[in-house]
Amino acid sequence: MKYIPFFGCMMTTKYPWFEAAVRRTFDNMGLELVDVDGFTCCPDPIYFQAHDKMEWYTIAARNISLAEELGHDVITTCSGCTATLSEANLALKEDPELKEKINKRLKKIGREYKGTVNVRHAVTVMRDDYGMDRVAKTVTHPLGGLKIAVHYGCHLLKPSRVMRVDDPDRPTILDNLITAAGGRPVHHDKTLLCCGRACMDNSISDHMVMDILDNVVETRADCMGLICPTCFDEFDMGQLILGRKYKKKFDVPVIYAFQLLGLAQGLKPEEVGLHLHKVKVDRLFEKAAG
Amino acid sequence: MVLHVDNGMEVQEKHKIDFDFREKLDVIADGFRHNYCYQCGACVADCPSHNYSESFNPRLIMLKTLLGFEDELVQPDSEIWNCTNCYTCSERCPQDVRPVDIIIALKNLCVKTGKAPDSIQKISQAVMESGITTKATSVTERRRQELGLNPMKTYPVEDLKKIVEGE
Repeated sequence: MKYIPFFGCMMTTKYPWFEAAVRRTFDNMGLELVDVDGFTCCPDPIYFQAHDKMEWYTIAARNISLAEELGHDVITTCSGCTATLSEANLALKEDPELKEKINKRLKKIGREYKGTVNVRHAVTVMRDDYGMDRVAKTVTHPLGGLKIAVHYGCHLLKPSRVMRVDDPDRPTILDNLITAAGGRPVHHDKTLLCCGRACMDNSISDHMVMDILDNVVETRADCMGLICPTCFDEFDMGQLILGRKYKKKFDVPVIYAFQLLGLAQGLKPEEVGLHLHKVKVDRLFEKAAG
Repeated sequence: MVLHVDNGMEVQEKHKIDFDFREKLDVIADGFRHNYCYQCGACVADCPSHNYSESFNPRLIMLKTLLGFEDELVQPDSEIWNCTNCYTCSERCPQDVRPVDIIIALKNLCVKTGKAPDSIQKISQAVMESGITTKATSVTERRRQELGLNPMKTYPVEDLKKIVEGE
């Protein structure tokens, strides 16, 4: 199977080690990624969508139309990109009038959105195409029962009408990926809580993030395992910022799901950029090794 | 006049009820489903912003939308900007109102009428000028190289400018 990866902005510029983790793990599983030139920002589902939804649909449709030329499914690795491209793809497939309006705009640059490819998050490839049991077979360095507090974030799952990834109230897809990698997924009261990044009032999001971190600490998990770079921003860098602001100490390492898989497949921590995290993760490997 | 709504919360009717406001919103992309709202409140209990700030209430936002409280909703400091876009309300709504989409339509109206916070324009401008939201910094290329990734590509900004200019 061939897939067209859509890494978006955050994972190419700010967290390129997540891109590296996805590329290396896909390579380890023999899944081919075909890069496409000319992708722009998805565009961002919060601010850009708030700016103008028609422009948001148009730029998303342009991105999808580039993938349509090759005919492979688009694989997203950031929950924000997943949200934008999935919603635009579904809306344009469902609404011929909207599609016509958008295509009038795209015509100005000689492009057309046809609605011939799917947009899917990379984790669904693990479950639906490759299979979690086969993923487990690629694991050479199981995570040694590392206790991982799963954090799904919002846009992988909701709105479920659009995303069609998993049950938004009882998701299992990340748990199963972590289990396949030899980790032990754990849940807590705030597992499904939003990271709050889109809130204008920081006092709201600060308390969401701290509540989640407090719950993770309470479960005595070794780290958080998540799938969204925006959530990562909130919990990794955010942990330091909130620690200073509210005089608290959490010390919860935060790891992206494909970094966990990469480690389990024998990649070195620096190959998936673990040394670049703000909250240090070194002690986890001592535990996994020992 | 005071409108009494759930849990003893009150909405001051500061402005005249304006049913024409619904039609204003109807013409914005995906901004018509508020008309299906029957104020059951299913959207409220699991709303994270509501749970961390009582002043944010998706049901009240839908009510104010139906009553046409434009002056309250369409402002740079309106409560709509505290929506987390988590879509939990859309999961719970029995009427398929999709409250997040209505809130986004309200935000679009803020932009159209020059009443959006500056952060919105900053991001949309970044996309139109550079093709991306999160810009590369001086360390981006070095990091990419260390990780064995290809250098960043240029973004077709001219194409973006052409396609966003109306129909």
